[in-house]
Amino acid sequence: MNKFFDLRFVIGTFFLVLGLMLVIYGLAVLGQSHSDVNIICGIIFIIFSAFMIVFSLKKNDKSKELHG
Amino acid sequence: MHLELIDYLVIALYFLFVIGVGFILRKKIKTGSDFLMSGRSIPLWITSLAFISANLGAQEVLGMAANGAKYGLYTAHFYWMGAIVAMVFLGVFMMPFYYGSRARSVPEYLKLRFDEKTRTFNAFTFAAMTVFSSGISLYALAMLMQVILGWSFDVSVWMAAGVVLVYTFLGGLTSAVYNEVLQFFLIVLGIAPLVFIGLEKIGGWQGIMQNVDNAKMHLWVGMTDASKNPMGVDFIGLVFGLGFVLSFGYWCTDFLVVQRAMISRNIHDARLTPIIAAFPKIFMPLIVILPGIMILAMQNKFPGFDLPKNPDGFPNYNMVLPTMLKQLYPNGILGVGITALIASFMSGMAGNVTAFNTVWTYDIYQTHIRRNASDHHYLNVGKVTTVAGILISIATAYVARGFNSIMDLLQLVFSFVNAPLFATFFLGMFWKRTTGHGAFWGLLAGTAGAAITQGLTVAEGKGGWIANIHEFHSATSQAFNIAWISFLICFSVTLIVSVVTKPRPDKELTGLVYSLTPKEKDRNKVWYKNPFWLGMLALLITLIFNIIFY
Repeated sequence: MNKFFDLRFVIGTFFLVLGLMLVIYGLAVLGQSHSDVNIICGIIFIIFSAFMIVFSLKKNDKSKELHG
Repeated sequence: MHLELIDYLVIALYFLFVIGVGFILRKKIKTGSDFLMSGRSIPLWITSLAFISANLGAQEVLGMAANGAKYGLYTAHFYWMGAIVAMVFLGVFMMPFYYGSRARSVPEYLKLRFDEKTRTFNAFTFAAMTVFSSGISLYALAMLMQVILGWSFDVSVWMAAGVVLVYTFLGGLTSAVYNEVLQFFLIVLGIAPLVFIGLEKIGGWQGIMQNVDNAKMHLWVGMTDASKNPMGVDFIGLVFGLGFVLSFGYWCTDFLVVQRAMISRNIHDARLTPIIAAFPKIFMPLIVILPGIMILAMQNKFPGFDLPKNPDGFPNYNMVLPTMLKQLYPNGILGVGITALIASFMSGMAGNVTAFNTVWTYDIYQTHIRRNASDHHYLNVGKVTTVAGILISIATAYVARGFNSIMDLLQLVFSFVNAPLFATFFLGMFWKRTTGHGAFWGLLAGTAGAAITQGLTVAEGKGGWIANIHEFHSATSQAFNIAWISFLICFSVTLIVSVVTKPRPDKELTGLVYSLTPKEKDRNKVWYKNPFWLGMLALLITLIFNIIFY
C-alpha cells in the first residue's frame, strides 16, 4: 500500500497507461499520416514511466531494509 | 480542431489520476497543518518541481508562446535575466529568514518582522489577487475550450473547477503539490514533441533563422533604444524593471511560489528548492517560447499557420499554441497536448486556491476572527475556504466573461502590489533600522505611486487616465517602468519614515534580519549540495545562454 503514496509510482503508472494507449492507437491506425508520432511518443512515455516505477520500488525496498 | 475518442480517453485518464491523487492522500490529512502546510514534510525533488509548476499556469504556457511570436527571443529575458537570478537570490539569501522564522506564510513573516497592520495589508491584497487570478485562469481555460473544441463555456468552467475542488478539498496543499508535479511532467512531455515535430518540418534552427525576422532573434541587440527592438523596451526598464523589481518581486515575495519551498522538510531543502527549480526553468523557453518563434517561420513557408484576428484587427497571439497543436499533432498525441493545456490552467488555479487557503485561515481568520480555536477547527475552516475560494473563482470567471478589460486590470494590480512589496522585503531583511510604520506607509505610497504613474503614461492606448505626459512603445515597457518607479517610491518612503520612527530592539529581530542572524556554516562541502555553489552554476549557464543569443 505504501507505494501508492509514492508520487513516482503514481506518475509512472499514469505515463505507462498513457504510453500504452498511444502505442496501441498508433498501431491501430498504422499507415495513416503521422501515426508514427503516436507510436514514438508512446514508447518514450513508457520508458519514462519505467524509470519512475523502478525508482519508486527501489526507494520502497530501501525503506523496508531501514525499518526491518 | 476535431477530437476523436482516443483524445477524450487521454483527457479522462488525466482527470481520473488527479482526482485519484486526492483520494489517496485524504487519509494523510489529519490536522490543519497537514491540510494548509503539508506538515512541512515534502521531499526536495517534489517541492522543486512544484515550485516551477505553480507558476506554469495559463500565463506561462499560452502567454509565453504568444510573447514568443510577438517579441521573438527577447521574451527569454523573463527567464534568463528575470526568473533565474531571482530564484537563486531567494534560495541563497531570503529563504533562511522565511523558513528559519517558522512563519507559515509570507504575510506572517511581515508580522514577525514589522507589525500586524503590514501583515494585514499584505494578507488582504494577496488573498484578493490569488482568488481573482484563479478565476481568470478558469475563464481563460473555458474560453480556450470554447474556441478550439467548441465546448460550452459553462461545462468547461464547472468541470475544471469541480476537478480542482475535489482534489484540493480531499488532499489539501499536499494534493495540489503532488498534482503540480504530475502536471509538470505532462506539460513538458505533452508539448516537447511539438517542438521536435515543428523543428523537423521547418528545417531545424537554420530554417527558423532563414524564415524569421532577424530583429526577433536576439536577446540584447537594439536594447539601447526602445524603438530599436520588437519589445519596445529600454535598457533601464528591462534590467531594473523586469530583471530586478518585477522578477524579484514575484519569485521572492509571492506566497504562491514561496509556499512550495516553505513546506520542505528542513531549511537546507527549503534553500535548495528554488535553486534546483532554476535548472529546468533555464530550459523552459524551449518548451514555451520556441513554439511562438517557430510559428513565424511556419507562416512564411506553409499554409494554415495564420493566427485568428482580434476585433481590433491584430493577430490573437494567445492562439499560437492551439494553432500549432492543431496543425502539427495527429489525434492521440493531440489529446495529450490538449490535456497539457488543461493541466497548466488547473495547476495555476489549484496553486492560487491553496495559497489563498493558507493566507485566509492563518493571516485573516485566525488573526482577526477567531484566535485560539482547536486545530480541528482550523482544518475545517481550511476546507470551507477551499470551497469558497473555488466558488469565488467561478464567479470571477463569469464576471470576466462580461468585461474584456478585466485581465488587463489584473495584470496591472499585480505590478502595483508585487513591485513595492519587494522594496519592503529588501529593506526589512537587510536593514535592521526599517520599522513597521516605514514598511506600511512605504507599501501604500508605492502602490499609489504605481497607480499615478499608470495614470500619467500611455501605451497601446492604455493608461493616461490623469494626463498623458509620456507614451511608451509598448504595454510591456510601461509595466516594466511602472514597476521600478513604484519600487523606488516604496523604498524612499520606507527609508524616510523608518528614520523618524522608533525601531525594534535588536534582540527581537534575530532570525529576521540578515545582520542580526548568526551565519550558519554550510555543512555540505560537496558543491552540488551547497545552495551557493549550485546557484552560481545556474547563473553561469544563464550567462552562457545570454552570450550565445546576444
